[in-house]
Amino acid sequence: MKFVNLVLKSVRRNKRRTTLTVLSVALAVFLFSALRAVLDGFDAVSAASSATRVVTVRSTSMIFSMPTSHEQTIRSTPGVEDVTWANWFGGIYKDPKNFFGQFAVDPVSYLRMYPEILLSEEDKKAFIEDRTGCIVGDGLAKKYGFKLGDKITIQPGIPVYGSQDYEFTIRGIYRAGSSAVDNQSMMFHWKYADERSTPKAQVGWYVTRVSDPDRAAKIALAIDQQFSNSAYETKTDTEQAFSAQFASMLGNLNLLLGSVALAVVLTTLFVAGNTMAMSVRERTTEIAVMRTLGFRAATIFSLVVGEGFIVAIGGGVIGALLARAIVNAESLGLAGGFIPMFGVNNRNVLVGLGLSAFIGVAASLIPATMASRLKIVDALRRVA
Amino acid sequence: MGLIGSYNLRSMIVRKGTAAMTAGGIAMVVAVFVMTMAIAQGFRGALVASGSNDNAILLRKGATSETVSGVLRSQLPLIEAMPHVARTADGQPLASPELVVIISLPRKSDGNPANVPVRGVGPRAYQVRNTLKMVEGRQFAPGSREINVGRQAVNRFGGLTMGSELKFGAATWTVVGIFTADDASFESEVWGDVDLMQPAFQRNGYQSVTVKLADPSAFESFESAVVADPRLDLKPSRERDYYEGQSSTTGTLIRIFATFVTSILSIGAVFGAMNTMYAAVAYRTREIGTLRALGFSRLRIISAFLAESVALALVGGVIGCILALPVNGLSTGAMNMTSFSELAFKFRVTPGLLAGGMIFSAFMGALGGLLPALRAARIPVARALREI
Repeated sequence: MKFVNLVLKSVRRNKRRTTLTVLSVALAVFLFSALRAVLDGFDAVSAASSATRVVTVRSTSMIFSMPTSHEQTIRSTPGVEDVTWANWFGGIYKDPKNFFGQFAVDPVSYLRMYPEILLSEEDKKAFIEDRTGCIVGDGLAKKYGFKLGDKITIQPGIPVYGSQDYEFTIRGIYRAGSSAVDNQSMMFHWKYADERSTPKAQVGWYVTRVSDPDRAAKIALAIDQQFSNSAYETKTDTEQAFSAQFASMLGNLNLLLGSVALAVVLTTLFVAGNTMAMSVRERTTEIAVMRTLGFRAATIFSLVVGEGFIVAIGGGVIGALLARAIVNAESLGLAGGFIPMFGVNNRNVLVGLGLSAFIGVAASLIPATMASRLKIVDALRRVA
Repeated sequence: MGLIGSYNLRSMIVRKGTAAMTAGGIAMVVAVFVMTMAIAQGFRGALVASGSNDNAILLRKGATSETVSGVLRSQLPLIEAMPHVARTADGQPLASPELVVIISLPRKSDGNPANVPVRGVGPRAYQVRNTLKMVEGRQFAPGSREINVGRQAVNRFGGLTMGSELKFGAATWTVVGIFTADDASFESEVWGDVDLMQPAFQRNGYQSVTVKLADPSAFESFESAVVADPRLDLKPSRERDYYEGQSSTTGTLIRIFATFVTSILSIGAVFGAMNTMYAAVAYRTREIGTLRALGFSRLRIISAFLAESVALALVGGVIGCILALPVNGLSTGAMNMTSFSELAFKFRVTPGLLAGGMIFSAFMGALGGLLPALRAARIPVARALREI
């Protein structure tokens, strides 16, 4: 501990070099934390999925619909507590670039199924009573400046829903109680869309609540068996499996983001290692003098490692805090559609700090070994 | 430049450890740049290769992709009768009415279901799309429940090998042929007879019609003829333009990601290069003083140190490009947001991309070397010479 001042002194020796190194470590930790946050965003969706909800889609593919008559059959399956349904609307708000999820839902049963959709009692009532009413997530409302009572026009994007524009009135702005619900979506009455659809009475997917999460897989199988060999065979999965499949459709994110993160770490190791090597080389004579005075090789070694550690941790703190401040769902507004909400959380910050500590120690290992193995006589004889 | 150039080069070699580390940092940045851009290139390439300049695709007015388009059965003969449409030797129009639906098949790598496009095509589709080649088996016979499968789809999804039977749309289909399409997106698809797909998927009509133009340069007159016909509420586009547009959503997303990551990473590497060059200047203060005393101008000193930094970065650039090369041709998949289906494509490391990587590394070197070089030039001669 008594050497802390000495280490701090060496850190301050070349201020410009230290600053540059601190900043490059900061950038690396910033990038690393942001990448982790994106991956965590995807994980959070499947982690927050309810174990008691199962999702039923057509076995061919979820783009095909099923008749409303499936509802009764699912509801009467033993172990099923509640059923609701929804359709993907895929409409266009002003411009095709304004992409967000629009779901035609059965309001009463849908809100019952998803208590994570946080809505005040008045808004809930107003939404249920208005056939052309809709609710939007607070993220979406912020993005497009939607307010309660606003009228919005959506052009149907899928031929099934006809070609006439749909008018909606915003009756509620909901908050997402967990990552299982996206706060960048819009929900409206399924009946409103059904009135203009050809063919009518079609459902995109059913969501079922089962009484016992341990039997979810069995109940899912029982649901599917009732429709096997019908014209509308189904595939039922737990909500968790369903969202995991959805994320995997985006491509192999783990591999892509993982290899980028590795490159980030390696680049920083090179930069920091280089700095430490330079700083040791500059002080060759000094180190030799210290050794002559009786400092042991091990002490010299830990002095150099300590210096690397402090520089890297300094960068890590800056980078992690910056990431925490900048990369969050509110300031980015990138999420929406197929990309879940993400933001750097405290755990990402800790991982980032740990990473910077690792970089500091790993980068100074070779220079520290060099310094501790210095031959005193040679070093003293050398003129810098 | 002769003396000073070799002086800087030799100094770089003397300090090989530091030089190697700096180049290593830059190499990593260039490798990440080339690899991520290779994904964007590959994705876009797969879609652009799908479109031919000789072909035109007709979609419903206002439709941005096949999924949301519709073409009535009665409209097909009207299009086929148009004089702009190329014909076979026996006078058959080269037009293919098409319908794309998505089925779910297990991905081989992780067993998860993936969205695979099934394309119902007209009997002359292989003449309209002449880049398609059968590598195994034969073309499906019109009127039978036979399908052809793209090579990428066979490799990526289970149950699509030659002779296997596939159940979808309440019927069983047999794979009778496997095709390639110059790495185009069609290689991720399953093709069959559109007239059998329609009832199987309970669809009336088609989504699009692709025609081969008799004279590719006469696209404008074809377009005005289609628009002028009140029975056709369709809009033709050049097939290449259409597919290029299809790649934009996902392509842009990948590009934004690549730019974000590499720009932040490159700042870190530039700082590293700066450190190295500042140290190089500090070590050689006396030598620089000598050079100045001998009459070398400030400008010469600046350019010499800049050149040293750029050379160092270029070495890194070459290493980075070599590191990134092995991913070329590696196939992967990503969801195409516009069609909601999985598109298999290959990483494409093009010569242009490598050149871009080299320019990028030179730029990083110049940026990192600029301030230290200026500092070197500003050292007062007398003080520099006095320094030990």
